[in-house]
Amino acid sequence: MVEPMQYVFEASDMSCEVPEADSFKTIFEGLSFAIGRGEIVDLVGPSGSGKSSLLTAFAQLNPHARGSMKLDGRAADEFTPQQWRRQVAYLPQKALLTGSTVAEAIRLPWTLRIRNTDAGANRSSRLRRLFSRQSPDAQARTMLPDERIRATLDSIGCEDIDLDRAPHDLSGGQAARVSLARTLLTDPKVLLADEVDAGLDDENADKVATIMAQSAARGMAIIRIRHRPPDGRASRIITLDGGTLAEMYMTGQGNDRHNAQEARA
Amino acid sequence: MSGNYYSIDIWGLLVALAMVAVAAGISGLMRMGIGKTLLWSACRALLQLCAMGFIMAFVIHSGNPWFVLLLIAFMLIAAVQITLSRAKGVPKGLAGPVLLSLVLTMLIMMSLVTELVIRPHPWYAPQLVVPLTGMLLGNTVSATAVGLSRFFESMRERRDEVDTLLALGATAWEAARPSMVSSIRLGLMPTTASLASAGIVTVPGMMAGQIIAGGDPIDAAKYQFMVLASIAALTLLTDSIIMAMAYRKCFTSLDQYQPIAK
Repeated sequence: MVEPMQYVFEASDMSCEVPEADSFKTIFEGLSFAIGRGEIVDLVGPSGSGKSSLLTAFAQLNPHARGSMKLDGRAADEFTPQQWRRQVAYLPQKALLTGSTVAEAIRLPWTLRIRNTDAGANRSSRLRRLFSRQSPDAQARTMLPDERIRATLDSIGCEDIDLDRAPHDLSGGQAARVSLARTLLTDPKVLLADEVDAGLDDENADKVATIMAQSAARGMAIIRIRHRPPDGRASRIITLDGGTLAEMYMTGQGNDRHNAQEARA
Repeated sequence: MSGNYYSIDIWGLLVALAMVAVAAGISGLMRMGIGKTLLWSACRALLQLCAMGFIMAFVIHSGNPWFVLLLIAFMLIAAVQITLSRAKGVPKGLAGPVLLSLVLTMLIMMSLVTELVIRPHPWYAPQLVVPLTGMLLGNTVSATAVGLSRFFESMRERRDEVDTLLALGATAWEAARPSMVSSIRLGLMPTTASLASAGIVTVPGMMAGQIIAGGDPIDAAKYQFMVLASIAALTLLTDSIIMAMAYRKCFTSLDQYQPIAK
């Protein structure tokens, strides 16, 4: 007996058209996808097939994409773009860490208004913020003190990363993990990880995968673009090629609670 | 106005032109390749300045406020055109915002500096209003041209950072802010430098003119300070207004980053 699956994120009729010289090139069209709580799905396919375009479309970051999406059953247009991206977080391939220390880089999301006001884009609160004596950096520091960053980094196996170091001095693997930790700390419902383990050695790639698996175990839905051989953590592998999605279930390995699912069209 | 005023006759102009011609000749001998441009620009400047002189003389003698407004309107439109042609790599459709912010600061300048501080009679006194407008526009045009070029260049350079910020939930404003701050700073640098060097390294043009025309140097200094200070403040204001209107060009209505074609 299969009970109807509650999807945390659903997308249908996704299409992407990139403008060229004087026409449009269709990357994909009419794609549908859904993911449940705590599920890890791998997205594979030849380069140029539009995997990144699909993930940025899910996060409403892609100006060339259209489609209808739902989060917890609520349509995307009920959210402001900022509210949506807070829950559906896109993690770019290139780890971009700003500021002079790792701690500052990790606090970046807390300097943004979406995490500093409850109402979001309320006009009076915007004015009040403009004249409030506390700087966004100081606010971020109160909301996310160094101790909490330290504890989180330790809990995900990043004891080797010093908070006072300059992001510039981190190794590629460390930068990738800091960037991942920053997005995980914002606690999104859906994580869209765009080839985060590209350019990492096997050991660091495995560390990154373990960190994500821990978050998935706590209920985060994760879509990973990967070029490496399957690591057994995903419940499904989806191939994007020639503008269509093909699904493959990983029976016998990974999270076996998803094995009973029916294949969706 | 008291004291002596030394007029320049046609021979004076010829001497100035001859100096430029000699300089151009030297550059020609040394193959620096700027002689022609220098000579051409000097002739152009002579023509433009004489034309401005005749128009000003006409407007002052006419005593008609409409002529003053017409002249200012012409200067504003020319300022917009020069700003946009000097700014490199900026999107289309900025003429409106640039004109709007120039008009706005013009009005503030007119009402605060002219009508509240100097209080000339008649209120539109062309010999005051037109040169003040010219000085304000000259400064804001270069500041906004530099600022706009730098802003869009910076947004292109910061592309990955902007995308990361947006992905973390930043608004378009928050994602564009570092570029806005750096471009306004860059555009304002000559203005702050001119404030700092005034009176030590340079005798600014307006003060020099007033003293040469036989005005009281103390009076000239007061005028000059007021003009420098208000121009600095208004240049910052114009630049900020234009940035606040232009940054949206880099984003779609859904706060997605939209690269701007060069």
